[in-house]
Amino acid sequence: MDPDVLFLAEHFEGKLAPSTLELAAKARELAASSSGAPRGILLGHDAGALADSLTPYASEIVLVDDPALAEYAPGPYEQVLRATMDRTPPRVLLVAHSAVGYDFAPALAGAMDLPLVTNCVDVRLEGSTLVATRRLLNEKVQGEFEIASDRTYVVTLRPGTVKPPEPHPPGRLTRSEVAVDAGAARERFLRIERPQVQDIDIGQADVIVAAGRGIKKKENLALFETLAKRLGGVVGASRPLTDLEWLPKTRQVGQSGKTVRPKLYLACGISGAMQHVAGMKDSGFIVAINTDPSAPIFEVAHVGVQANVLEILPALLKEIGA
Amino acid sequence: MALNIVVCLKQIPNPDLQFQIAPDGLDIKREGLNYKTNGADEYALEEAVRLKETNGGRVVALAAGPKRAEQMLREALAKGADEAVRVGHEDPAGHDVGRVARILAAAIRTLPHDLVLTGVQSDDIGGSATGGLIAGLLGLPHASVVTRVQVRGSEIEVMSELEGGLGRTYVLPLPALLTIQFGANQPRYAPLPAIMKAARQTIREVPPAPIDSSAYAFKVRRLSPPPARGNAEMIPGRAAEQAKRLAQLLREKGFVRG
Ligand SMILES: Cc1cc2nc3c(=O)[nH]c(=O)nc-3n(C[C@H](O)[C@H](O)[C@H](O)COP(=O)(O)OP(=O)(O)OC[C@H]3O[C@@H](n4cnc5c(N)ncnc54)[C@H](O)[C@@H]3O)c2cc1C
Ligand SMILES: Nc1ncnc2c1ncn2[C@@H]1O[C@H](COP(=O)(O)O)[C@@H](O)[C@H]1O
Repeated sequence: MDPDVLFLAEHFEGKLAPSTLELAAKARELAASSSGAPRGILLGHDAGALADSLTPYASEIVLVDDPALAEYAPGPYEQVLRATMDRTPPRVLLVAHSAVGYDFAPALAGAMDLPLVTNCVDVRLEGSTLVATRRLLNEKVQGEFEIASDRTYVVTLRPGTVKPPEPHPPGRLTRSEVAVDAGAARERFLRIERPQVQDIDIGQADVIVAAGRGIKKKENLALFETLAKRLGGVVGASRPLTDLEWLPKTRQVGQSGKTVRPKLYLACGISGAMQHVAGMKDSGFIVAINTDPSAPIFEVAHVGVQANVLEILPALLKEIGA
Repeated sequence: MALNIVVCLKQIPNPDLQFQIAPDGLDIKREGLNYKTNGADEYALEEAVRLKETNGGRVVALAAGPKRAEQMLREALAKGADEAVRVGHEDPAGHDVGRVARILAAAIRTLPHDLVLTGVQSDDIGGSATGGLIAGLLGLPHASVVTRVQVRGSEIEVMSELEGGLGRTYVLPLPALLTIQFGANQPRYAPLPAIMKAARQTIREVPPAPIDSSAYAFKVRRLSPPPARGNAEMIPGRAAEQAKRLAQLLREKGFVRG
């Protein structure tokens, strides 16, 4: 067992995912307590510059450059990480809890029989024991869990929970010689699909009046249209409403929808699941209306109203003359 | 190609509830909770049944959990599963996903499976881990956050959802494992005759396979309410008063003109 902490750099179309720097910060912190070094690994093709841009954040960045790694692909990624970790098993492998992360990390842990803990909001080492903090039950409960093992801990860290690191004197960039057997890949990549935008861009709006499953019926969206119009804004939504096709997909705020930063975000009947919050937490002024006082949306809101949104909105419309 | 499909279903406490921590701090208080099928798993089940309807084959609904999970499995039978299997796993919270996944993987080994489906995440644990772990343990190719599945001979074409509305399309050989995303389809309601029939069907119960626990030791240290419940200024009063204050605030902040 190596005391080092290894993080997996994530990138898409030539850009690093912001969560990668958060992993680097956490890797440095964990490495300090395991008396090892923070190291990053980047898999890609023609990705020298990307890898180089990471060197201020780790003691070493390992670059595995291969045409088969141009896009994230579970098979080749697993091959490379396996080979790397068989050679020098790190104390911890850190991966972002992202679409790539939850595709990759659990499968690797299963295949290599490694201990796994995912979607952590914090993680630390106490001696050789890993202590992970996670959220449960739609953010309403927090839990601390202990895993003890002499094998590499595989951890996925929720994006947005760690401050990005300060740059340090650059670490070294190493090119790894792991050979990728592209023929062994079982999946065949076809294409990236993009949404066809024919709607307003909610990302441009100063005011978003957002509706969630708490509004109960599609007909109630009329209230939202009226309010949005009066405030010079647009109607946004949480995912269940766009899944139900009450509103077009282009109105969806969150991880798998749009990231927005309006001056005013009015969250109505939205519980505040992490995937929703990821898309709106940086809004200027957040008002949440929800019947459940324990709804996690109140954690990010500036102003909270514990009430039935179907009573508040009509009353509010009357007050502001709409 | 006719498919043997195993779909993993988890029964969870209704997440709309408020929760209290049990006195020992190791679980939530479970008396009086009502349980339901995990949200994403409804879509996984629907996808399984549709794939069977289009391609032929059989759907086995699989759950690891206590006796109460039978209710959920009966609903799955009523919605089109052909068989239901419950692995008796008496840990009501199931925080150790590694253990749950190993138990499920062992059960899946005993069932014919061209395709294994799970939900993308459970709304109680929220790990998005069980599906991937099972794939790794069984050596199955896999895809996550899947919103579209098409069978093409002995292969499947899937679309995996990425961040920001993007999707990645790729082809996998069978057998494979997919984690199914919310919104992948429109889950059906069970027709009454099917509910009546399911009430009489037997649910096969199997003991959990012994798990080699040498890889790691897992422990719940403590559960607690989330710290620092934000600093939202809560507007008190009844709806009319709340609306009035909210209107005033929005005016002060310059969001309401005229
Ligand atoms: C990979 C992945 C990606 C995802 N991406 C996104 C995304 O981009 N965007 C997104 O939004 N979600 C996303 N989700 C889904 C997310 O996890 C939640 O399921 C979703 O955000 C919940 O939407 P909601 O808050 O409207 O519904 P719920 O969680 O059901 O909440 C409804 C809320 O309304 C309240 N309520 C009920 N009645 C009333 C009333 N009369 N008045 C006021 N309040 C009331 C309830 O107390 C509850 O808090 C994603 C999930 C996954 C797994
Ligand atoms: N005890 C269980 N029984 C059956 N399926 C489960 C169980 N736990 C998790 N799953 C499946 O794994 C998926 C992901 O769960 P999780 O890893 O907890 O987020 C769920 O949507 C279920 O399909």
